[in-house]
Amino acid sequence: MKAAPARNAVWAVAVATALLAYPLIFSSPFQQRLGALVLLYAIAASAWNIVGGYAGQVSVGHVVFFGCGAYAALATYHHTGLPPIAGVPLGIAASVGIAALIGVPTLRLSGHYFSMATIAVAELARLVTTNTEFLGAAVGLSGPTVPRTVFDLSFISALPYYYLFLAVLALTLGLTWWMERSRIGYYLRAIRDSERAARSLGARAGRVKLYAFMLSAGLTSVAGALYALMFGFVDPESGLGILISVKMLIMAALGGAGLLFGPLVGAAILVPLEEISNSVLGGRGAGLTFVLYGAIIVLIARFRPDGILGLLRLRRRAEVPPKDKTDAP
Amino acid sequence: MLHRRAQLAGWLTAAAFAVLPGVATAQSTVKIGAIYPLSGNAASAGTSAKAAIEVAVDIINEDRPELGELTLAKGLGLPNLKGAKVEVIFADNQGTPAAGQNQALRLITEDKVVALQGAYQSGITVTASAIAERYGIPFMTGESVAANLTERGFKWFFRTTPVASDIAKIYVDFLNDRKAKGEKIEKVAIVNENTEYGTSIAKVVGEAAKTGGFNVSVVIPYSANTTDVQSQVLQLKDNNPDAVVFISYTSDAILFTKTMQALGYKPRILIGDNSGFSDASYIRTVGNIAQGAINRSAWDVGKPGSPTFLINEMYKKKTGNDLDDTSGRVMQGFLTLVDAINRAGSTEPAKIQAALRATDLKPNQIMMGYKGVKFDDKGQNILASALLIQIQGDKYVSVWPKESATSELQLPYKGW
Repeated sequence: MKAAPARNAVWAVAVATALLAYPLIFSSPFQQRLGALVLLYAIAASAWNIVGGYAGQVSVGHVVFFGCGAYAALATYHHTGLPPIAGVPLGIAASVGIAALIGVPTLRLSGHYFSMATIAVAELARLVTTNTEFLGAAVGLSGPTVPRTVFDLSFISALPYYYLFLAVLALTLGLTWWMERSRIGYYLRAIRDSERAARSLGARAGRVKLYAFMLSAGLTSVAGALYALMFGFVDPESGLGILISVKMLIMAALGGAGLLFGPLVGAAILVPLEEISNSVLGGRGAGLTFVLYGAIIVLIARFRPDGILGLLRLRRRAEVPPKDKTDAP
Repeated sequence: MLHRRAQLAGWLTAAAFAVLPGVATAQSTVKIGAIYPLSGNAASAGTSAKAAIEVAVDIINEDRPELGELTLAKGLGLPNLKGAKVEVIFADNQGTPAAGQNQALRLITEDKVVALQGAYQSGITVTASAIAERYGIPFMTGESVAANLTERGFKWFFRTTPVASDIAKIYVDFLNDRKAKGEKIEKVAIVNENTEYGTSIAKVVGEAAKTGGFNVSVVIPYSANTTDVQSQVLQLKDNNPDAVVFISYTSDAILFTKTMQALGYKPRILIGDNSGFSDASYIRTVGNIAQGAINRSAWDVGKPGSPTFLINEMYKKKTGNDLDDTSGRVMQGFLTLVDAINRAGSTEPAKIQAALRATDLKPNQIMMGYKGVKFDDKGQNILASALLIQIQGDKYVSVWPKESATSELQLPYKGW
């Protein structure tokens, strides 16, 4: 069993090197931006993965936290004139608070009911924001149009965004990795496999799920803030629309939910697929982009429901005598 | 095993990083990027805008002496650029500000367009034009009306369309005109769909009405994708205003019209602000039960044989529909932009920007009913205006102000 960690390390180093070198090799503005977008969505999907993948609580309302981050950054700029990044801690605090508030009642719900409750919360947030003047109501909020100082993080090139996002992604994955190995990680997987069994063995399911939900919410809000920094605009549809939740979910599921690098792999496939197919086909105006996008999701759901990395793990298991990863500590 | 994994890695890299190279350019074309919603909620409007731009390209590139003084109609292509043809590269904004901005970047850096136009939804125009500003590429919008667009201190942003405050002024002037003629108009109700478009116009119209001496008796916001508006119509019936201003998209405008008939409610004056009420499918579906509905428009088909009539024929041949106000405004924005490129005699962004700033088009050189096109320091067309039109029979006819009217105003609202 010594081979596996070594192999994992090699794999991780290779991924890290590729990520660091990507914008230097593919250096056109559009390619660099594409790279930055992959990382941005990977952050959001990785954050979702903590509660949706590891704990198996499928949240379809994660956009609430994404919106929290985006709105906190731009509302801070709009109302105080401070750089948007000053609003990031506020967004994290608000997200974690909201997660605690909605987590306590909703995490008691099981299966579909949890998903439905999170959708309801997200739609509620969207409607309230649409009618809240302080948050720009239906018109939305803009960031600084012309950068005043470097702290506005408003760049022409996507390169600074790329490395900023990469750093945040590394932090997110680091936290996830740490959690995966800690007691909480084992509890979470136990809960995912059978909540009743985990409880009967003494895991404090409610509390552990809540912690995971709060951690996930905080990280999702950072993704939202980074989105707002890069695009400089948020309105109820683009900051709190249900499709963003769905995207996070699909990316994590495609790459492999509950696996450390699953969301990154999912984002690295879906984001370029969407952007490039839109660039090539979008101008013809037949909505072909979404046909292609949908077809790929259907194919994956049919043939690899456990995600692309699940395929890899399956191969590895066939090679090495299996050791069940979900063993209790 | 390693081999397989390398294969997989290679495949992933290819999928992730393959970007199609920009299409090679013929020498004598001027490339302009156009970003519109070609999929998503507003796809119908985006597709119409695309068709309108294609008609404009035809007018510019081909010799159309029958269109009179309209900019670039005579002769082939752009005379000051040795007859270069205009080529438009369309991009789909998918109805999201993110896609709009990504596509703006792609058009500028990959396709090397010399100018951009778009992007229908004001929120997307915000993000797409921000990229153009950073790269120093002129950005034209012929249709986005949000007030803040021209308040950002941008140097590369231009807008030909009238904005919310211009529109509100027309409604209030009209109501005051009726009042001066002895009609009792005191209470004005506003019914608006509750996203950006409806909210922002409702706010400006409400303020203008109050300043104009009217009592805004009730404001009823609703969600455009609703399937039942009985309670809203009953609220109106109960309030009994003298005039109602609707700010709606298509399906909800149709729903309101049908519900009003079902509940037997008719205000004395019904104003339906552009969008939904201008949609060709509105007149087709409920035009016969919305007789006398008043709308604003800067587009008037005009008499047979006139340049506007011929433009409408060209558009109709392409799409099967009459040209609507929004698509007309898109087209005017595009014609103005290309006229500036021609006057610049160059595809250098700074020269196009200077030419745009120097724009001074007269009413006979444009297709819309503006008083002309001339930009202020913020890039807003100060000569933008609109007129009021009314549904009479199976089409809209222009009825106010008197000097541009082709038909007699018919009041009160007749309905069915």
